[in-house]
Amino acid sequence: MITAYVRLEVRRTLRDAGFAISSVGVPVMMYLLFTNLGGQNSAAYKTAAMVGMAAYGALGAALSLGTGVAEDKSSGWLRQLRITPMTPRQVVTGRALTGTVVVLPAILAVLLAGGLVNGVRLDAWQWAVTALALWAGSLPFTLLGLGNGYRLSAQTTGVVNVACNLGLAVVGGLWFPVGLFPEWLATLSSYTPTNRFSELGRSVAEGTAPEAAALTVLAVWAALFGAYAAASYRRSARTT
Amino acid sequence: MTAGTAVGTTAGTAAGTTAGTTAGTTAETTAGTTTAVAFSSVTKSFGAVRAVDGMDLVIRRGETVALLGRNGAGKSTTVSLLLGLDEPDGGLVRLFDAEPARAVAAGRVGAMLQDTRPVPRVTVRELVGFVARTYPDPLPVDEVLALAGLTELADRRADRLSGGQAQRVRFTVALAGNPELLVLDEPTAALDVEAREAFWDSMRRYARGGNTVLFSTHYLEEADEHADRIVVVDSGRVLADGTAEELKRAAGGFTVSFDLGGRPSEGAAALPGVSAVEIRGDRARLRSDDPDATVLELAARGLVRRLEVTPVSLNDAFLSLTSPEQSR
Repeated sequence: MITAYVRLEVRRTLRDAGFAISSVGVPVMMYLLFTNLGGQNSAAYKTAAMVGMAAYGALGAALSLGTGVAEDKSSGWLRQLRITPMTPRQVVTGRALTGTVVVLPAILAVLLAGGLVNGVRLDAWQWAVTALALWAGSLPFTLLGLGNGYRLSAQTTGVVNVACNLGLAVVGGLWFPVGLFPEWLATLSSYTPTNRFSELGRSVAEGTAPEAAALTVLAVWAALFGAYAAASYRRSARTT
Repeated sequence: MTAGTAVGTTAGTAAGTTAGTTAGTTAETTAGTTTAVAFSSVTKSFGAVRAVDGMDLVIRRGETVALLGRNGAGKSTTVSLLLGLDEPDGGLVRLFDAEPARAVAAGRVGAMLQDTRPVPRVTVRELVGFVARTYPDPLPVDEVLALAGLTELADRRADRLSGGQAQRVRFTVALAGNPELLVLDEPTAALDVEAREAFWDSMRRYARGGNTVLFSTHYLEEADEHADRIVVVDSGRVLADGTAEELKRAAGGFTVSFDLGGRPSEGAAALPGVSAVEIRGDRARLRSDDPDATVLELAARGLVRRLEVTPVSLNDAFLSLTSPEQSR
């Protein structure tokens, strides 16, 4: 039942041209621009930026899922789902699983651009584990997107998601390296899920095991955003 | 249907009520209960507005029931409570003797909701196929599509259809799981005459299989023509509940009308059987429970001019029910 639902929702998301452009096209373009126009074009920077931009793409894709949920709420699709035999828990789980599928194109597209266009060289296992780490690490953002989508109206969700996206991306150091930040911002950055998310991918790409601190910070955010998503869903069920 | 002599109308009522229950005996797979829907003293408010205000309602299995009321009478809220989409503030809602959520989770309920736009970016077949798969014992997808006349449109995207076509998709979605209880909230709102006929045909075919149907409408003719039983709702309460004939009788049975011929109309209200008097120009229209007595008395007073005795129309019945101050 859940698989049928996930298949339906994945199809719906991938058919959305806006989704393809904003969560796959934009990160790839930004990655290629940043690594080929700026002053720093070292191989290390290209690798780090690749992971950062793949993380940024995954972040955007995960959050955009929330925008879809908000639309489904206003179109009545969520109400229709509630009168199918699927339980609310299955619906939310299915949506979260959809999120884990639709972040993949964003991650893979930037990694491909890194490997094929920018000549980033990694061992085969590193590519695989980097992709996997980014994929698994995107879960907190999927939950954040769902929480926004179930809680807010379609328009508000769009705005809030863009704010979350930009705020988390910039402060987390996905666009510019944290090394350029003043000290207080760098400290703040180390507590953001986005920073730890890209650190997770970067450490794997550099061939080291991720720090326990990174995993802890991500796990705490996943739990927080998960609780937020669950609370929002319960609220949406009441008011619709 | 509203035609018929005075005698025919009165005799017809008793038979009408039991028609629904006989169909209920075809219950096959599911155990026990003969009650599909039960509301007892249900209330629901939104802010200061009491949308449902002490609703009592029982629908037996196999019945086709119309929920008739004006816009804002509480029909949609009743449907939401029934489906478990809203929780009542007070009272109890039961579907097949269980909580609505349980009946829904068991796949016994299908519904066509009002004000839902088609899901974006899926084809009709994908949508119907998905919904069918969530039910334990669905109808074959091609069969449901054919039933609603959607075979040709199966590969079109659901969000690129006309209003009438989209309405048919919503009906198909309600039907796909082969539910025992079908709930339709204003099902014919966007349909033209032809599509309406086709819709009611499919609905009747479905109900004939021993299934229960509840539809809400503000069209009297639809309720009169397609339901075994009509539940009139206003201000969130059940005002009347019965066959069309029973409702007409409850509203005061018959209209006795005659020309006044310039005479005063004061005595009319005191005539035997009369419950309401309406004067339009020179013509008096009396609502009467006992038209024979009324007419005899009129004749005795020598007032019979262009006399006419007609059964009250469902329309009159509905109006008198929903605006009580007018009826007495």
